[in-house]
Amino acid sequence: MSKENKKIIKEATIATTEQITRSYFFKECFSGMGAMALGSMLQGCDWLGNKDSFNNFTNTNPLMARAPHFIGKAKSVIYLHMAGAPSQLELFDFKPDLLKLDGQDCPQSLLEGKKFAFIRGVPKMLGPQAVFKQRGQSGAWISDNLPHLATVADEISFLKAVQTDQFNHGPAQLLMHTGSPRLGRPSIGSWVTYGLGSENSNLPGFVVLTSGGNNPDAGKSVWGNGFLPSVYQGVQCRNEGDPVLFLKDPAGIDRDMRKASIDAINEANQLTYNEFKDPEIVARMAQYEMAFKMQISVPDVMNINDEPAYIHEMYGTQPGKASFANNVLLARKLVEKGVRFVQLFDWGWDSHGTDLSNAVDIGLINKCRSVDKPITALLLDLKQRGLLDETLVVWGGEFGRTPMQENRDGKTLPFKGRDHHTEAFTTWMAGGGIKQGSSFGETDEIGYSAISGKVTAYDMQATILNQLGFDHEKLTYNSQGRPFRLTDVQGRVINEIIA
Amino acid sequence: MDSLINLVGHFHPLLVHLPIGILLFAILIHWLSKKEKYTSFEKIVPFTYLIGALSAILTCISGLALSTSGEYDEKILFYHQWLGILVAVLSIAGVFFTKKKKEKFLQWVSISLLIVIILTGHFGGTLTHGAGYLTKGGIASKIVKVKPSITNAQEAVLYTDIIQPIVEEKCYGCHSQIKQKGKLRLDGKEWILKGGEDGIIIHNGNALKSELYKRIILDPLDEKHMPPKGKPQITEKERVLLEWWINSGGYFDKKVKELAQPATLIPILASLQNNSTKPSIMEDVPTKEIKIANQNSLNGLTKLGVTILNVAANSNYLTANFFNVIKTNDTIDNLLKTVSANIVWLKMPGMNFTSSLANSISFCDSLTKLSIEHSSITDIQLNNFQKLIRLHYLNLVGTKITLKGLIQLKGLHNINELYIGQTSITNKDSLIIQKTFPKAKINFGNYHTENLPSDTVILKEPLKK
Repeated sequence: MSKENKKIIKEATIATTEQITRSYFFKECFSGMGAMALGSMLQGCDWLGNKDSFNNFTNTNPLMARAPHFIGKAKSVIYLHMAGAPSQLELFDFKPDLLKLDGQDCPQSLLEGKKFAFIRGVPKMLGPQAVFKQRGQSGAWISDNLPHLATVADEISFLKAVQTDQFNHGPAQLLMHTGSPRLGRPSIGSWVTYGLGSENSNLPGFVVLTSGGNNPDAGKSVWGNGFLPSVYQGVQCRNEGDPVLFLKDPAGIDRDMRKASIDAINEANQLTYNEFKDPEIVARMAQYEMAFKMQISVPDVMNINDEPAYIHEMYGTQPGKASFANNVLLARKLVEKGVRFVQLFDWGWDSHGTDLSNAVDIGLINKCRSVDKPITALLLDLKQRGLLDETLVVWGGEFGRTPMQENRDGKTLPFKGRDHHTEAFTTWMAGGGIKQGSSFGETDEIGYSAISGKVTAYDMQATILNQLGFDHEKLTYNSQGRPFRLTDVQGRVINEIIA
Repeated sequence: MDSLINLVGHFHPLLVHLPIGILLFAILIHWLSKKEKYTSFEKIVPFTYLIGALSAILTCISGLALSTSGEYDEKILFYHQWLGILVAVLSIAGVFFTKKKKEKFLQWVSISLLIVIILTGHFGGTLTHGAGYLTKGGIASKIVKVKPSITNAQEAVLYTDIIQPIVEEKCYGCHSQIKQKGKLRLDGKEWILKGGEDGIIIHNGNALKSELYKRIILDPLDEKHMPPKGKPQITEKERVLLEWWINSGGYFDKKVKELAQPATLIPILASLQNNSTKPSIMEDVPTKEIKIANQNSLNGLTKLGVTILNVAANSNYLTANFFNVIKTNDTIDNLLKTVSANIVWLKMPGMNFTSSLANSISFCDSLTKLSIEHSSITDIQLNNFQKLIRLHYLNLVGTKITLKGLIQLKGLHNINELYIGQTSITNKDSLIIQKTFPKAKINFGNYHTENLPSDTVILKEPLKK
C-alpha cells in the first residue's frame, strides 16, 4: 500500500470515528445546545423591539378567525378601486377658477421641475368638464356625472388632498394596495386576512372581483400575498357567468368520496409538512379544505340570480352579464356572510382623451354611469340591512388627473383628456365608523396641488387597519430577517374623518 | 473660536465611551491579575490605566466645550462635570500608583473609580435623554399621566387647558427645565415670551410671523422643522389650535369663550370635550372587566360550526356568529348559556329559531348587538329578550316580527339602532316606536335608487350644455 493510500485511509477512519465516538457526540451537543440557548435568549431580549408584533400564522388552521388588537368599528371592508384613475376635477374637486383659465397656456411655474407621464412642452389648461352642485346637508361638491351618489353625500367622508409619488398605473396601484410601488409586498386584503382570519370558515377571507374588461395594470400582485403565506392571497372570482367553476362533483363521485380523497391528499401533505415545515404546504392543505367547503357555500352566496327584483332594480344588475354592478351586489352578499375584505377593480378610468372612450366629457361619463347607481345602492342597501356601520366602503383610484389638457407628444389630442397627476386627488370612505358627511383636505384654486390635510396611501391604509381594530405599526410579519408592515415606516391614522 | 469650541464639544458624546470602556477594562484586568492564573495581566495594567486617563482628559475637555452651549440643566450639569473631572483625576492616580506598585492605594482608587464612572455616566445620560430615561418603557411608562379632561371647551382657559398640554407633550422634551435646545424654554409664560437664541418666538396676532408656528409648518424634511424628524409630530388639530391661539393674541389667561372662533374651529373644540371622539365604540363593549370565558365551551361551540372569539386581543368579551349554523340544537343552546356573560355581539342571520335558543340568548346580559335578520324569530320568542337591557343594536330586518311583538321590548331603553326593514312594521308606526325606544335611530329600510333616463344611455359625444 502506498503512503498516499495509507494517509487517505487514516483520514477516513478518523472521520468515521468522529461521527460515532462519544466525544464527538458531546461536542456536537454543546454547539447545538449553545445555538438553541442563544436563540431563545435573543428572543427574550426583544432585540428587534418586536415584542408586540403579531405573528399570526398558525400551521394548523391559518384561516381561523382571530381577534384584532383592539375593538374595531368595522368588521369588513369593500374597496372599490377605479383602475386607471378617475378625474377628481370632473367628480368631486370643484374648481371654478380653472374654468376661467380654460384654453390658456399652463403657467411655467406649474411645469418647472415636474415630470408628467405624457404631457410634453406647454399644455393648455382644461376647465372642469362637468356641472357641479353642493349636495346634502354637508354641502359636498359632487358633479352631475354622479347623480345617484349625490343623494347619499351625507354618508361619505371625502379625502380631497390625497398624494402619491407614482405616476404610472402599475406602481401607483401597488403603492395603494401593498404599501410599495415595487412587486413583492402583501396586499392590504392579505394583511387583513392574516390578522383576522376568515370569519366564515366556509368562505375565503379575501375575495377579488374585477370588471371593465381588463385586470388592473399592476396585475394580480395588487391582491397578492407577497411574503405572507399564500393562503392569505385574494381569491379572484370570474367576472362573467358562474363566479367559481367546477362546484359540482364529477359524475360517479359523491360528497363522501370527495371528502375521503381530500383527506388522503392532506394526510400526505401533512407528512411532507412535518418533514420540511414549509408554510406553503399548509396553504395548499387549507386551500383543498376551502375548495371542498366552498362547493357547498358558494352556490348560495355567489349567486345573485335569486335576489329579489327590487334589489336588482336598486343596483341596476343584470345577472349573467359581466358588470361592475353585479360585482357590487356580490360584494354585499359576501360581507353579509362574513368575508372580511372584498376588493373590486373596475378598469377603464384612464381619461387621456386619446379616443372617445377615455374622453373626460364622454367616456368618463359612461364609466360614471356604470358605477354610480351600484355604489349608491351598495351604501343604501348596507344601511337598510344594518351593516353600514360595520362595513367600511373605500372608493378611489391610484392617482389623480392634471388640471391641464393632455398634449401627448406635444400634439393636440382628438378628445378632451387629462394626464396622470400625483400631487392631489380625491378618494372617499363611508361606513365602518367613518364620519358621515365630512371632508378633509383642500387643494389650490385650480386643483393642482394639495394645500392642507394632505394624506398618502399609507395614511389610508393605516386608517383602514385602524377601523378594523389594528394598530398598523404592530401588524407585522417577519420576512428576510426583519418585521415588515403594510405601511412600511409611514402612515398616520386619519382621525379627522373618524366618527 | 466659538465654532471651534462647538466642534470640539460635539465630539463629547463620541469620546465619552472611551474612558468608560477602557477604565472599566483596566479595573477588570487589575483585579483579575491578582489571581494566580492571570498574573501575566499585571504587566498591562499600568498601560491601560494610562490610556484610560488620557481618554478621560480628552473627554473632560470636550465636555467642557459642550457645556458652553448652555442647553443643559445647570444642576445636573454641575454634578456631571465635577464627577467627570474626578474620573480623570482618579485615573491619573491609578497610573501613578500602578507605577509605584502601591497596591493598597490602587485598590481604593479602582473601587472609587468604578463608582464615580457609573455616577458620571448616569448624570450624562440624564442630560441627554431627560430624567427617568432609564425606566422609560418600563415601570415609569405604566404610570399613565391622566390628561385633565375638559367638560366644556368654551369654559376652558385656552392656554392652560388646551395649548399647554400640546406644548408639554410635543416640546418639553428639548425645551424645558432639563434641556434648553436653542436656548429656548417653553415650560412657562415668562420663558415663552423671552424666546430663544434667535429672539422672540411669538408675534401676537400673527402666527405666520411667529417662529414657534413657522417651524411647525415647515416642510418636515427641513432641518429647522419642529418637532425634529423622528419625534412625535404636531397633529393637524393641534396645529389649528396653536395657530388660533397665536392669531387671537397669544393670551395666557383668556377663556375660549372670550375669543372669536372661526367656523373651522368649532368641531375641533367640540372634539376636545371628554373623549367625545369615541363614545360609540365604548358602548359596543361594556367597560366592566370580565373573567375569561370557559375555554371548553368555546372549543365545543367552535367544533359545532360557531365562530366565537374575543372582540379584541385585549378584551375577554366575545363575539359569536352563526353564519354556518342555520339551526341550533340542545348542545349549542346549553354551551351558549355557559359563556353568556361574555357575549356582547351575536350574529344569527337566517337562524331557524327555537324557544330554547331564544331562552339561551336571554341569559346574555352583556349583549349589546344582536343581529337576527331574516331569522324565523316570532313575537313570542322575542319576548325573551326583555332582559337584554344593555342591547343598543337590534337587527330584525326581514323577520315576521309585528309591531305588538316589538313593543314588548319597551324596557330596552339603550337601543339606539333599530333595523326593521322588510317587516310588517312600516313608518306609519314610527311615532309609537320612537316613543317606545326614545334613543333609537329607526331604520325602516325600503330604500331605492331612482331610475334616471341617463342611467342606461351610452354617450357618443359630449352632452349639450
